[in-house]
Amino acid sequence: MLSPLPIVERSILVFSTWAVLGFLGLGLLLEGLTRDSVTLSSLGVGGIVLAFVVHIVINGVFDTGFSPGETALGIGAYGLLGLVFVIGAITGETTMADFYSGLIFFGVLALGFLTYLFTRHGLRGAFSRFHVKPASLGEGA
Amino acid sequence: MIWLSLYGLFYIAMTLYWARVGARENGDFETYFSAGHALSPWVSALVLAGASLSGWAILDASAEVGHSGFGFPALLQAGIALALPGVLFFKRIWLVGQRLRLSSQSELLRSYYGSEFLVCVSTVIAVLFAVAFAGLQLSALSRLVEGLTGGAVSAPVAATLLAVVLFGYVVIGGMRIVGYLGAIQAVLAAASVVGFAGFALIAVGGFGALNAGLATLSADPLQAGRFMVSGVIQFTTGAGREAAAGHEGTALASLSIAFALMGFQASPLALKVILSMRTPRALAAGQTWVMAGAYGGLVALCVGTVGAASLIRPDLGLSGLLASLSPWFAAWLFIGLLAGVQLMAGLGLLTAGEALVRHLYKPWFHGRLGRRDTVTLTRVVIGLLAIASVLMQALTPVTLSMLGSLALPLSFQLWTPLLGITWLRWITRPAAVTGVGFGIAGVLLTEPLGIAVLSFFGLDVPWGRAPWTLHSAAWGMAANLAVTLLVSAFTQRRGFSEEAQEIRRFLGIALRTSARARALRSTAWSVSLAWLFLAVGPGLVFGNGAFLGPDRQWLVGMPSLWGWSLLFWALGVGLVWFLSYKMEMASPLSMDIPAYAPHPKLRVHQDAQERDRVRALVVTSAVAFALIVLTALGFSR
Repeated sequence: MLSPLPIVERSILVFSTWAVLGFLGLGLLLEGLTRDSVTLSSLGVGGIVLAFVVHIVINGVFDTGFSPGETALGIGAYGLLGLVFVIGAITGETTMADFYSGLIFFGVLALGFLTYLFTRHGLRGAFSRFHVKPASLGEGA
Repeated sequence: MIWLSLYGLFYIAMTLYWARVGARENGDFETYFSAGHALSPWVSALVLAGASLSGWAILDASAEVGHSGFGFPALLQAGIALALPGVLFFKRIWLVGQRLRLSSQSELLRSYYGSEFLVCVSTVIAVLFAVAFAGLQLSALSRLVEGLTGGAVSAPVAATLLAVVLFGYVVIGGMRIVGYLGAIQAVLAAASVVGFAGFALIAVGGFGALNAGLATLSADPLQAGRFMVSGVIQFTTGAGREAAAGHEGTALASLSIAFALMGFQASPLALKVILSMRTPRALAAGQTWVMAGAYGGLVALCVGTVGAASLIRPDLGLSGLLASLSPWFAAWLFIGLLAGVQLMAGLGLLTAGEALVRHLYKPWFHGRLGRRDTVTLTRVVIGLLAIASVLMQALTPVTLSMLGSLALPLSFQLWTPLLGITWLRWITRPAAVTGVGFGIAGVLLTEPLGIAVLSFFGLDVPWGRAPWTLHSAAWGMAANLAVTLLVSAFTQRRGFSEEAQEIRRFLGIALRTSARARALRSTAWSVSLAWLFLAVGPGLVFGNGAFLGPDRQWLVGMPSLWGWSLLFWALGVGLVWFLSYKMEMASPLSMDIPAYAPHPKLRVHQDAQERDRVRALVVTSAVAFALIVLTALGFSR
C-alpha cells in the first residue's frame, strides 16, 4: 500500500505526461485530418501512444496500475471518439485520408491496449480482467 | 475560439482538481502556508525552475531578442544566472529553516537580524512580484486572448478570468497546490517554449533558413549592431536623457541584467519553495540539471530561436505566431504560457498574502489572531491583491510596468542580508539593514518610478534610466555593498541575537566541507569568475567576433554572440555541477535536524500596544498623505 504522497506524485507525473504528449498528439492528429495527411495524423497517434507508454512506465515506477477513474476516462473517450468516427464514416463526410487516419488511431490504440493487458496479466489473466465471477463461487472456485 | 475554450476548461478543471487534493491534505487550514514542509525534492526543483524562468523568458526575453537582437546575451544565460544563487544559498537556508522551524524569508530575517525593516522590505518585494511583475505578464496574456478570440473576449475580461482562476486555486489549496500544480505548470510551460521554437522554425523554413535570414540582416550596416554588444560600458547619462552609441546593450549592461535575474533566487518567493521542501536531497540535481540544464537550455536555444525568428520576420512575434497556427496548437501553446505565468503569480500571491497577514499584521496589530483566522484573512488579502493587479492592468498600465521593473532589482538587494546569514558572518545587523536601505535608494534613483516620483515633487535628477548603461540592480548593489562593508567595519563589536548565534553555530557544525572540496576552493573561485567575466561580463566583447571568419562569415552557422551564448550555457552547466557537487555547496545531505528550543521568555500582554500601533498607523498615514499632496501642489510642475 502506497502512502498518499507517492500517489500524489504519480498523479502529477501522469497529468504532466498527458498535458504535454497527449495534447501534442491530439493536435497532430487533428492537423493530419484537416490537411488530409495520413503521415501527420500517424505522428499524432504516435504521440498518444508515447503518452500511454510513459503512463505505463510511471505506473511501473510507482508499482501500480491504471486507476479506475483513468480506465473509465480512457475507455469512455475511446468509445465516444469511435462513435463519432463511425457516424462520420456512415454519413460519408470522411475522406479516404481521414478514414485511414481513424483506422490507424483506433487500431493502434486497441492493439496497444490488448498488448498491455497480455504483457501485464498474461493471456489467461487478461481474460479474467473481463470475466465476471459470481460472488457465490468465491475466489477459489 | 472553441479550441481555446476547450483547453481553457481543461486547465480550469485541472486546477480545481488539484485545489481539492491540496485542500484535503491541508486539513483545510492546518498546513496551508508551507504544505507541512513536505514538498518533494523533484516537485520543488520543477516549481523553482518554472517560476524563475518560464513566463518572462518566453514573453519578455524573446520579445527583447526580436526587438533588439543579441545585444543582451545575459538574457540567454538566464538559466545559469538563476542557478548560481540557488547553489550559493539554498542548502544553507533550508538547514537554517529546518533548525529554527521557519517557513518564510520574513521569519528568517526576523530571527537572524531582528529587523522589522527587513521584514517590511521582504513583504514589499513579495507584493511587487505578486501584483506588478506577475500582473505585467498576465496583462500580456490577456492581450493574447483578445487576439486569439478576434476581440470576442476583451483584454480586461480575459484579465479578470485569469485572475479568478488564479485566485480560486491559490485560496483553496495554499502552498500545497502551488507545489503540486506548479510542477505540472512548469512542464506545460517548458513544452510550450519548445512548441513555440518548433513552430517558429517551421514558419521560417528551418534552422538553416533562420540563420540565412539573420546573416542577410547582419550584412546591412544599419542592422549589424543587433548582433554584437556595443562595447564594455558607455558612460551615458541614461535612457531618456542620452542615447548610447549603437544601442544600450553593453557587456556591463548584460552583467547588471544578470544581477537583476539573480534577484529572483533571493526573493521571498524562491525561499518560500525552499523552506517548504521535505529534504534538500535534490537541490544539487535541481539546480544543475533542471534549472541550469533543461530550463537554461530552453532559454538559450528555444527562446533565442523564437526571438531570432521575429527578428527576421517581425510578424512572427508570439501573437503573430499564435495567429498563424491551427487553433488546437495555438490553444495548447497558450495554455502552456498561461501555466508558466500563473505558476509564478500563484506563488507570488501566496507569499505576499502570508507576509502581509502572518508576518506584519499579526505580530504588530493582532497578536491573538488564531491559526484558522490567519488563513482566512490571508485568503481575503490574496483576493484583494488579485483585484489590485487586475485593476492596475486595466487602469494604470504604465505604473504597473514601473512597479514591475522594481521587483527583481529590489530583490537582488536582499543578497547582502542572506550572505550574512549563510556565508559572511562579519555582516552585522546594522550593516545589513543600512546596506539594504541604501541599495533600495540606489535602485529607486535609477529606475523610472523613482525618477518620476522625484519629478512629481519638483526634483529633476540629471540622469535617466540605467545610467552608464547599467541596470538599477547594479547601482543598488554598489551602494548596498559599499555601505554594508563600511558599517560592518564599524559595528563588529555589536552582539548577535540568541537565534543568530545558534544559526552560526549550527551551520558551522553541519557544513564541514571535505578536504577535497577545501583543496578545490581556489579552482572554484577561478572558474566562477572566469565564467562570469566571459559569459555575462566584460568578456562578452570577445563574443562579438569569436566565431567570425576572416571575411566576417559565421563559422558556426549562427550569429557569433548566439554561438558564444550557447557555448557558455554548456560551460555554465558544468560550472553549476562543479559547485553543487564537487564543492558540496548544494550536495545531498542526510542528517537529523532537531528543532532548536529557545530559552523560555515571558509572554507580554500586548493589547494596549497593538491599539496604540493601529492609532499611530492611521495618524501617520493621514499626515503622510497630506504632506505628499501639499508638496506636490507646492513644488511639482
